[in-house]
Amino acid sequence: MLTRQISLSAPIFLFIFLLQEAVVNQFKLPGGGFSLFAIFALVWAVISTPEIAALTGFGAGLLMDMSGGAGGPVGQWTLIMIIICYAVSYLGYGDGNINGNPVGVVFFVVVANLVTEVLFLASSALLGVTTGGFGQILLTLLGNSLWVLVITPIVLPVFSFMHNFVFETRSAL
Amino acid sequence: MRYGGEGRTRLLLIILIVTALFLITLDLRGVAVLDGARQGTQTILSPFQKAGNFILSPVKNFVSDVTHLGRTRNQIEKLRADNAKLKADLLNRKNADAQLKQLESILDLAGTAGYKVVNAKVISQGSSQSFSQTVTIDIGSNAGIKKNMTVLSQTGIAGVVKDVFPSTALVMLATDPSFKIGIRIAGTQQIGILSGRGSRSGSLQLLDNLTTVKVGDVLLARGSVANRPFVPGVPVGYVTAVDNSAGEIAQSGTVRYYTNFGGLGVLAVVVAASSTNPGDALVPPKPVPTPIPTVTVYVTPSPSPTK
Repeated sequence: MLTRQISLSAPIFLFIFLLQEAVVNQFKLPGGGFSLFAIFALVWAVISTPEIAALTGFGAGLLMDMSGGAGGPVGQWTLIMIIICYAVSYLGYGDGNINGNPVGVVFFVVVANLVTEVLFLASSALLGVTTGGFGQILLTLLGNSLWVLVITPIVLPVFSFMHNFVFETRSAL
Repeated sequence: MRYGGEGRTRLLLIILIVTALFLITLDLRGVAVLDGARQGTQTILSPFQKAGNFILSPVKNFVSDVTHLGRTRNQIEKLRADNAKLKADLLNRKNADAQLKQLESILDLAGTAGYKVVNAKVISQGSSQSFSQTVTIDIGSNAGIKKNMTVLSQTGIAGVVKDVFPSTALVMLATDPSFKIGIRIAGTQQIGILSGRGSRSGSLQLLDNLTTVKVGDVLLARGSVANRPFVPGVPVGYVTAVDNSAGEIAQSGTVRYYTNFGGLGVLAVVVAASSTNPGDALVPPKPVPTPIPTVTVYVTPSPSPTK
């Protein structure tokens, strides 16, 4: 069962990562833009069990670390994504108001994305990676959150469909 | 709702976190395997990025125009004119022309200073998810590109090569918050340090407290040892504001870069500088003010009315 899930999930994750690098990154969007791949990983984690979410965070974070513009050392995004994906899944697990409700999922993804960015900033400060002035950081955090708020409801049905296909669940968002 | 809290999940979580920490430690210690993995990924991604850049060029132009909507009246007028010609073939042609124009300007700039350059196309604009400002160009170590080489735009400095892969390279833009460049002011030869701020303006800090800087002063790259990361004489920007606060050791100010980072299409990497310092030869000419016609009105008093 787990082998089937992983063998189906891996190409989907690679495809979204490729979409992020080859298409989304082509556009210089105002407010810092958004990461479709991060949104995908967070949505996947919110609607999965904590165990799957932790593995999702590991895989997604590792791919984000492999991106040319990752910014920090290899492993930084991996660590952050494991923690965030596990946390969002753990907090929402079994609560239909969160992981069974599209509004709840969008809210969780927006907040989780913001926390991810803050954790990245904090870990960058610890690792000595320069991240810019306070004003610019605030602007990026705000812009990024707004983009996630706009994009997530649009892509949520597609990501949810993929998740249902892989895990053979019948509920759909 | 709390999760069942199985020991297996916790064990898995601990193993994954330890693995991530292990990776961070290995990377910070400079283990080559991880660099190789990143390079391999970039090598795999570069054909897709190039294809994406080729296919999405017309759309990118459209998005870029929309992004700058409302900034100036001229740009709005231009956008209106462009909207009338929204046909894919025309946009493709326009895109090629614009890149050619950029390339001509870059070659003019490099030729004047005697720099040996390799031209490159921007194939990916990095998102600011990692709070950094970078672009990916379509040439890498196979074309002789090395880390810490100066990157030029058509009007001046664009950034510096941060990472090199076989067929692509990552360029840290001059707007990146961690970007720092030693500059000198054209004419007065005062020196200082310019730092990126995430936008088209940078922060200037002079090093000498006995000298002064004024609005409009032109900044040029001071150059580095062995011309890496910066070759001397490249136009950087001009001073737009000066901070004369009491208590500052030396003057500071705000600088506007010559390069328009929103419309980077073609760049050039300086692979070898000229043997002589170009000095102030690359200072851009100041715009010639348009003469305003003066009108002289002669008033002749009318004869006093007769009774």
